[in-house]
Parts: sequence; C-alpha cells; structure tokens
Amino acid sequence: MPKQVLIRFERCVGCRSCQLACAVAHSEAKSLYGAVLNGEKPRARVFVHQAGEHKAPLNCRHCQDAPCIDACIAGAMHRKADDTVTNIGGEQYCTACWMCVMVCPYGAVRSDAAGTMAVKCDRECKDDQGVPACVRACPTGALVYAEVDAYSAGRRQGVLLQALGGV
Amino acid sequence: MHFVIIGNSAAGVAAVETLRRPGGGASEITVVAGEPETAYSRCLLPDVLAGRRAEASIRLRPADFYRRLGVTLFSGVRAVELQPGEKKVLLKDGRELTYDRLLLATGAAAVRPELPGVRADGVFVLRTMADARALSAVARRVTAAVVAGGGLVGLKAALALKLAGVAGVTVVVASPRLLIRQLDERAAAMVEGELKEFGVQFIYNAGVKEFITGTGGRASGWRQDGGRFSPGEHLSGHGPDGGRELPAGCLSGVVLDDSRELPAGLAVVAKGVRPETELAARAGGRVGRGIKVDEYLCTSLPDVFAAGDCIEVTDRLTGQPVNSALWTLAFEQGRFAAANMLGQRRAYPAPLTRLNSARFGAVDVISVGRLDGPEVFTLDDPLSRTYRRLVFDGDRLAGFILAGRVDGAGVYTALVKSGRPVKQHIRALLGGRTGEVAVSGLMAR
Ligand SMILES: Cc1cc2nc3c(=O)[nH]c(=O)nc-3n(C[C@H](O)[C@H](O)[C@H](O)COP(=O)(O)OP(=O)(O)OC[C@H]3O[C@@H](n4cnc5c(N)ncnc54)[C@H](O)[C@@H]3O)c2cc1C
Ligand code: SF4
Ligand code: SF4
Repeated sequence: MPKQVLIRFERCVGCRSCQLACAVAHSEAKSLYGAVLNGEKPRARVFVHQAGEHKAPLNCRHCQDAPCIDACIAGAMHRKADDTVTNIGGEQYCTACWMCVMVCPYGAVRSDAAGTMAVKCDRECKDDQGVPACVRACPTGALVYAEVDAYSAGRRQGVLLQALGGV
Repeated sequence: MHFVIIGNSAAGVAAVETLRRPGGGASEITVVAGEPETAYSRCLLPDVLAGRRAEASIRLRPADFYRRLGVTLFSGVRAVELQPGEKKVLLKDGRELTYDRLLLATGAAAVRPELPGVRADGVFVLRTMADARALSAVARRVTAAVVAGGGLVGLKAALALKLAGVAGVTVVVASPRLLIRQLDERAAAMVEGELKEFGVQFIYNAGVKEFITGTGGRASGWRQDGGRFSPGEHLSGHGPDGGRELPAGCLSGVVLDDSRELPAGLAVVAKGVRPETELAARAGGRVGRGIKVDEYLCTSLPDVFAAGDCIEVTDRLTGQPVNSALWTLAFEQGRFAAANMLGQRRAYPAPLTRLNSARFGAVDVISVGRLDGPEVFTLDDPLSRTYRRLVFDGDRLAGFILAGRVDGAGVYTALVKSGRPVKQHIRALLGGRTGEVAVSGLMAR
C-alpha cells in the first residue's frame, strides 16, 4: 500500500515550516543558507493557506485518476511505480503549457521561477528514513506520512474533492 | 476477450493504458493506427514546425510502449469498414480483424474549405506529423506566408512559421479580433501584442477567397536566394527559383474577400476540424456533431465504444451537444471508455468543453467555461502583466479567463465544474488567492 501525506487540518498553526523545508529540499544546495548564498530561487510545492481563522497546508494528492495526467499534452506527467504523480524523470519533458495547472483542483502545480516548467510535489525530498521534508519539518504533526487503507483513502479523497467541487 | 482500438492518439493511448491496469484481466489488444508514426503529442506539432523540437522528441510514450503492454499494433494502415453484425473491422490492406469490443478513437481531421486553389502546392493544414514535416520543408524556402484563421491552431502555426524563419507571416482573421471563441478583448489584445513583437501581422474582418498559383507570374513570397529550383527536392515537389517562373500549381499568393492580394509562398488553412465519423456512420451508427455515445461512451452500435475528437459530448454548462475536440477530454474519455469496455460501468460526467491553456511567447492564457454571463468581474494589472476575468451566474463561477499569471487556475476550473457557490470569495478569486478559497471549501465541511 503506497503512503500518502495526510493533512490534519486542525493541527496546522500556519508557521510555514513545511513550505520552507520543501523549497530547501528542492534547491541545489539542499540547505537554506546555501540556497540563499547561491542566489537560488527554489519553489515550494506545498502551500500554507489561510481562510478565516483556519490555516492549512495544501499539496498534491497524487490523485487516483489524476486530471493532470489526462491533461498533459506532452506526456510528461505520469505515475511512478510508487504511486507518485510527477512530470520529471519520465519519457517526455515538460513544455510549460500549463494544462496541468488548469486542471489541478488543489492548485498544487505551479510554474518554476523562470516559467519554463511546471513544478509540483515529486517526493524527491525524502530523508534516509524515507520521510518527506514537509512532514519532517512540521512541528505540530499536522502532516503525517502514512499508509491509508483503500476505504479511508477513498473517503479522504472524497472529502477533499467534494469540498472543492469535484474533479 | 479481444479489444480492437482504431486510432492511437490521446484517446487510444489512454484506453490502452487503462485496459492494461492491474485488474484489467488477460485480454488481447490490437491497435489500428492510420498514421505511420508511433503515438505523438499532436498539440506539439507547432514546436516541430518551429524547429524547436525533433520529431522523435514529441513521442507520447516510450518506443517500447506497445511491446511492453503486449499490444499488437498495425501502424500506417486505416480501417475502412466496420461490420457490427459480424463484429469485424476491415483494414485498407485487406486484413480483417474480429473484435469482442471495439473503440473508435479516430479523432478529427482539419477542414479544408472548398475554395479555388485550395489544393495548390503550398496550401497546407496543420494536423498531422506529415503536415508538419511538409510545412517545415517549404517554410525554409519562402519569404511570405499567410495563415487563414485566428484560432488557437492558426496562431500557433503563425508563430511557428515566424520562428522557423519565414520573414513575413500574416494571419487573416474572420472576426474583429483573435481567439474570439476563447478570449475576451483584453486577453486577446495581450496575445496579439506578444505575437506582433515576434513580427506576426494581422488582417481582421477578412477571409481568403482564393489561392493563386504561379502560372506565368513571377514568384512572389519565395526566397530569391534560394538557389536553383530542384523539382522533387521536398514533399510538395516545387521550390523557389530566383527570377525564374514558378511552375504551375505552386502557390504564389492569396486573394482576400475584398480582392486584396497578398503574396505567399505557403498558406496554412486553420479553419477548424471535422470529426472522423465515417466508420460508424456507414455501419449505421448515430452521428450528430460527432459519433453519438451514451454516458458509458458506447455508440448506438453494440459493443462499439467511441472516445475523443470523433464524438459528440454534452457541454456541462450549456447542455448543448458539441464536438469534443480537446486533448484533455480525449484522454479522459479514453480512460472511461476502456473502463466500460472492461465492464466496469463508469458513467462519463458531462465535460466542460471550453478548457484551453496556451502560451504565446511570454504570454500565458487559460480560458475555461463561459466567456460571458450575467455578471463579469475583471482585474487588470499591467505592471505584473496579470489579467483575470471571472464570469458569475448567480453565486456560481461560470467561467474565467486568466492571462499572464495562471497559477491556481485549476481551483477556478474545479469551481466552474462543481457550481459550488463562491460569490462571497470574489475578492480572493479576483486577487488570485485561490488557496484560500480551496481551504475555505474544505473547512466548510
Ligand atoms: C496544432 C494543434 C494544437 C493543438 N493544441 C491543443 C491544445 O493546446 N489543447 C487541447 O486541448 N487540444 C489541442 N489540440 C487538439 C488535440 O490535439 C486533439 O483534441 C487530440 O489530439 C484528440 O485526440 P484523439 O485521440 O481524439 O484523436 P486524434 O489526435 O485526432 O487522433 C486520431 C488518430 O486516429 C487515426 N485514424 C482516424 N481514422 C482512422 C481509421 N479509419 N483507421 C485507422 N486510424 C484512423 C488518425 O490517423 C489519428 O492518428 C491541438 C491540435 C493541433 C493540431
Ligand atoms: S497535481 Fe493536482 S491533479 Fe495532479 S495528482 Fe496532484 S492533486 Fe491531483
Ligand atoms: S506544464 Fe508540463 S507537466 Fe504540465 S501539462 Fe504542460 S507539459 Fe505536462
């Protein structure tokens, strides 16, 4: 059973530690200090949003029938054997057409700083224990990397999708 | 179980992948592909024409795709007849295939209006790899080109010709502005401005009346430094010729409705597409604005399914029957059709049929749903080159246009699809704070 990054919304305090950790993990330097020194502009792939009093991180759900894969006119967006949906490391490279951006209901795909390719959660950030950087960084345990059984996976997706109006 | 799929583009490839998902069972799959190339990204043909990409680099799936998935591929051969009674498909080369379930993923073909001279050497459409290849060969040798049509394909072709080195590229647009079916005036002006930066020219409220050939006249629109004329040197069999006369049948210009003449060594007709429905129609299948299918993407013929540009769909917002004609829809329909061919009974929800994302130079545009409606809100920030147009119908977002910055577009798309009331979030939506709206939706539960 593949693992998912689950979000416990009620625990999020909006500190953006996950966002920062994600950006750093996707920098060349792999450290905040180094990235700043290099003048890099790494982009986070998880975003903390505030709605009223609520704060919540949102990232890619690695959807079952991922709309971004359907939409990718280049064939770059694909699903890896471990269930990760990504536009890197496949047969084709991303052409920055933003079809995936247009259809992702979570706004989880964005352009890179230069506008040359789409970036999203690719799980290329796991530490030696296999834990993603955002989960590792969260001080309150709002992000959990765990296996979900089919039922609760369906339910979780269902809740998210319905809330946003479905895919 | 023997599945036969006709057409190996977006819908066909998605269907193959779905049929081969775990749980799909052991089945035989045969794909009949009219084009000789392995499946490729049709939408990236302009990049091939522009010389930015090699043909092989727009392949949709790895070269071993069919072998790996255990699919028998007949490529470069068309299916010419469907016999639903016998469950047979006849191929052009005389072969016969017997199927248990069939998928028509035959797509669409570019329309060529019956205008005088439309068959002349040098008049092209841009739909297939063969078109792109032929166009590239001629583009290197002409100085002037005309594109008929100011829609997405026409504009992509025009920019590609410019990038390929054609000095003069003029787009003849029937309407008073570009992309009349996708964008409003402001967003269209941003695209026009960007294309003009590249040197593309526009003539509005005009149409091409006739394509004229170089009989007797001096070549116009051809490179004068193009060296010696060498027949058969490229696909269309003609070439530029310094001061000599062009051979008969070779394009030298176009005539507009108002009798203006534009010199042109090549012309691209981008006047839309026509769904490939003949196989179904001749077999007695129902056809409207494409092959008619039920919610399980089954045609009126038993065990014959259809997906992609060849079908008619019901627009989610208007309830009107329209031709599908979008990559995203072709791909998802291929998935749904295959699931139904496997007997999984998955109803295909009515899709949004305006769902476009395009990039012209540095200008990105996304257009989804309705262009107009009872209430329209816009935000225009020239400084950050951001333009947003939101169309509301009551409390619901019914459509939007984003030009410039497009991050978060998918949240708007999901809202248009769902019809969730979001009027109270108008400021966040106009300001591009889509995450906020997404989260508020989650929290509301
Ligand atoms: C230049 C260009 C740019 C585009 N840009 C976009 C874009 O940005 N976004 C978007 O959504 N869409 C875009 N499109 C449209 C998009 O390419 C189509 O919607 C999509 O390709 C449809 O896929 P399909 O599988 O239904 O059919 P098609 O891609 O049309 O493929 C059908 C295939 O079936 C084959 N075939 C047909 N009849 C037979 C037969 N009898 N026997 C055997 N084979 C047969 C054909 O040869 C063809 O290879 C663009 C199209 C073009 C040309
Ligand atoms: S990017 Fe968006 S659409 Fe694609 S898998 Fe992730 S959440 Fe789903
Ligand atoms: S932006 Fe890249 S990953 Fe997204 S649809 Fe286009 S080519 Fe595919």
